[in-house]
Amino acid sequence: MRFARPTWTFVAALALAALPATPATSSEVETHTGFFPYPVHREILPNGLHVLAIEMPEFADVLSYNAMVLAGARNETIEGQSGLAHLFEHIMFRHMYGDEVGGYDKAIGDMGAFNNAWTWFDVTFYHPVTFKSNFEMLHDLEQGRFKDLQFTEKIFETEAGAVLGEYRNNAADPSLRVSEVQLAAMYGEYGYGHTAMGYLEDVKDMPNEYEAAVTFYEEFYRPNNTLLVMSGDVTRDEVFDAAREGYGDWERGEIPSAGEAPPVNGPKRERVDWPAEIPPRVQLTYRMPPHRTGSVETAVGQVLPELLVSETAPLYQTLRSEKQIASSLSLGKAQYESFGPGPFVLQSVLFLSDHQERGQEVIEEALTDMESAVEDLKWFSQRDDAEEVLERLKSKYQYDLLSRISSPADAASTFAWYYRFERDLAVFDELVASVKALTPEDVDRFAQQYFVDGNQVVVTLVGGAEGAR
Amino acid sequence: MTVPEFRHVVALFLLILAPAAFGQTADGPQVVTLDSSSPLIEVRIMVKAGSMHDPVGKEGLASITADALLEGGFGPSDAIVTKEELARRTSAWGGAANPSVSAGKETTTFSMVIPRDVLDRYVTEVLRPLFASPRFDADEIARLKNEASTYLTSALRYTQTEMVGLEALDNYVFGGTPRGHAVSGTVQGVTAIEAADVRGFFNAHYRPANMIVGMSTTDETVIDTVVGALAGSGNARGALNEPETPQPLPAPAIEGREAVVVKVADSGATGVHFAHPLPVDRRDEDFWPLWVANVHLGTHRDSHGVLYKQIREERGYNYGDYSYVEHFPYRPYALFPPFNFPRTENYFSVWIRPVSSDHAHHLLKAAVYEYERMIAEGLTEEQVEASKNKARVLYLNYAETASRLLAAKVDDAYFGMEPGYLEGYLDRIDAITTEQVNAAIRRYMSTDDLKILLVAEGSRAGDLAQSIREDGVVYGKQPADYRLESTELDDGTTLWEVPENRLETLRLDAVWAHHRLDVDPDRVRVVPVRALFESRDFIDEEAAQPDAR
Repeated sequence: MRFARPTWTFVAALALAALPATPATSSEVETHTGFFPYPVHREILPNGLHVLAIEMPEFADVLSYNAMVLAGARNETIEGQSGLAHLFEHIMFRHMYGDEVGGYDKAIGDMGAFNNAWTWFDVTFYHPVTFKSNFEMLHDLEQGRFKDLQFTEKIFETEAGAVLGEYRNNAADPSLRVSEVQLAAMYGEYGYGHTAMGYLEDVKDMPNEYEAAVTFYEEFYRPNNTLLVMSGDVTRDEVFDAAREGYGDWERGEIPSAGEAPPVNGPKRERVDWPAEIPPRVQLTYRMPPHRTGSVETAVGQVLPELLVSETAPLYQTLRSEKQIASSLSLGKAQYESFGPGPFVLQSVLFLSDHQERGQEVIEEALTDMESAVEDLKWFSQRDDAEEVLERLKSKYQYDLLSRISSPADAASTFAWYYRFERDLAVFDELVASVKALTPEDVDRFAQQYFVDGNQVVVTLVGGAEGAR
Repeated sequence: MTVPEFRHVVALFLLILAPAAFGQTADGPQVVTLDSSSPLIEVRIMVKAGSMHDPVGKEGLASITADALLEGGFGPSDAIVTKEELARRTSAWGGAANPSVSAGKETTTFSMVIPRDVLDRYVTEVLRPLFASPRFDADEIARLKNEASTYLTSALRYTQTEMVGLEALDNYVFGGTPRGHAVSGTVQGVTAIEAADVRGFFNAHYRPANMIVGMSTTDETVIDTVVGALAGSGNARGALNEPETPQPLPAPAIEGREAVVVKVADSGATGVHFAHPLPVDRRDEDFWPLWVANVHLGTHRDSHGVLYKQIREERGYNYGDYSYVEHFPYRPYALFPPFNFPRTENYFSVWIRPVSSDHAHHLLKAAVYEYERMIAEGLTEEQVEASKNKARVLYLNYAETASRLLAAKVDDAYFGMEPGYLEGYLDRIDAITTEQVNAAIRRYMSTDDLKILLVAEGSRAGDLAQSIREDGVVYGKQPADYRLESTELDDGTTLWEVPENRLETLRLDAVWAHHRLDVDPDRVRVVPVRALFESRDFIDEEAAQPDAR
């Protein structure tokens, strides 16, 4: 039984959560075995780089080499410089390996690797996968670009242009516009006030921000601001030997603060008009507390999607089955699994035909149902089946968490995603223990505290002739 | 409860006698396993029946039977488990514990993830009654029929133009054979399906002996429990409704070249496809050199291929341009081909994603030309090495998850392939020589017999068809589109200043423009999309009539 945890874990988790997340700087290997289905080995280098090794020998010959840099939209605090973290994700692929423009990409291509990366509110994640036989080569390439990126102003300008192309491509999808409006209304100048793409005007101006980009790299691409995770057909010794040799001389830095998010001062209501005739969308959003592993608030956050948008949720039944006015209903946890107070974004997409027939009325109806569903959580414990529902969700939560770990790349990204908060090897045990300890009253209290008008932003999107006005 | 237990014991006994790899007894399923330490057990149950087994006039039956098994309720009449109850019952075991199903042309595959620690409950409360006592509730079947019909008549035909091209091409190649209709069925076929047909299909095909079961465990107790749960499925003991003797399913045949221009709503764009049958599949040695050749020509959703480089990267016509030596389901969204849609009859195809209708004929010429050029010139040593390298990298994605590894093994059992597709993939790629690639290209690739399909905006379909019939010189982008500098001369002509790096582009544009397709003008047709997916005929002549609804 992998789920049976001694009860002290929960107590320890609470205690740990209360401590500031200052990593130790010992240089010895620790191993943790618990809920996470593979043992995780760690060595912390003297420069503060956390190195994690996940041995998964059943994936023969596969090497998943991951680096999570704790820099994202949140750290773009200087006006006019939004989108830099994402731009850097691009620049990192233009590293001049062997003093050659495009040298890194060419070397990766010749070696043979699937190489990609993504940027989010808090982090930029690089995740090449290749064959084990390429370990030495890939390691050489990666440590080079993380420690000592070589790029010119010209490369920078070209890539900035490519990012603008990506922005325009994404802008064809209304999702980007809706997110921009929602985030700006909720966070203003704080880093979460824009998407990882950045504001359009900043993206357009990016070619002129070379100096700012150099500064961004020097400030945030530091060992004490990075997690290195290797998984697949590797041994811990191989990983730690390589890490010491390749990253040992990477200089630690002073990481600038991301500042504090201002209050929302809600309720606020925003409307996005879209030129094309597309199905309307309704977003009901609230500012959430920051993610703190082991806390009751974070534990409630873990089961909110199940309570609100899963097939068994009352809101799902209402909007999708009974009234059939929504074609989709969603709530992404990843947005509020954040260092700062991330957004809770409950979204429904309505049918175009209903909107053509009933106009604004159908939007108001969906919004009212969504608000009632959130409101009902304030008295969740009074539901007859509250205990039963919660028990079922706790069980489901654990299995769903496990099912996310199906490949070396999944194992590394999932572990790093949660590990980054407190840098505690037992993070999964603590997360699961906190969810298992939830009571229906915890849900009530959470909803009463956070789902309040002052935290609320509503965004609607309407397309077509009406939207174009 | 005594009957299932009895069956369980029989199944257990039979299984003990079964050999480990691809094990099968006379009455039981083939079993494949994947060693995994995960506390979650992934189970795949492949039934060797797909849309090619749909009875004539009931096209769509395999797909509806699959959905109706999961959504039509199960269990005794006094304790029916509806689809809602199934969702509720499995939710505590994780979202993936609720079974899902995907039908293909040859097979139908159920998937579920069972936590090891609730296996016995799962088998007793879900898996065994699901397969042993399905209800096939008439209301649910009516709903599924309605959904399938709505999908074909409105969603597919009128909102998913890329999908229309991909589905139609597959049906076009296999026209006149049991593989010649979409898995979702035809409008007429779906309408004709009755509840009794669903039960009949289930009884005939969902027998354990007609299944392959894959599990991500090597634990004998688990394997026995899961296999035992299927013992009562279909007409397990084989007395009633024996399936008809399987008809030999003809291979597709095309003689010469022909073209169909499908008229869809005015979207401003036209998708370009062509295909020919390919008499090899992944079991054949010759398939693998063709695989490398295809990586060179048109790797799906990747910038490596010639078609992508020339048409998208160099000239910016569209989002992507690809080619295939196997059918690839779940396009356009899937980046890598999903497993468990095996095909034992194969085709080669090219897909030029929607382009401006002004450029469609030019790019059809371009793609045919580039394919013919590869056939004529073969690949150089360097090109083969680069494509082998790319093919190796694809393996990292194809074999990425435990779930994909297991699914591939199930296909291996279906094909009788040893070593398996993924198990032997890298060795097969490594061993390929340039000579083998070029020999296989010469042997199997040709444009002599070709089916061409365009999905065009309605107002341009007629012109496009006429242009293909006339087969004249057709240019695509003009020098102005490439933003070249120009000077107006006194006599009114324009002098374009072509930089050196654009010379080859413009030269090739001219070669493409002049390349002839030589399609017999009488074999170029324009059909409205309402004539597709209507009946077993690729083009339903009645629906194709101008005055048809």
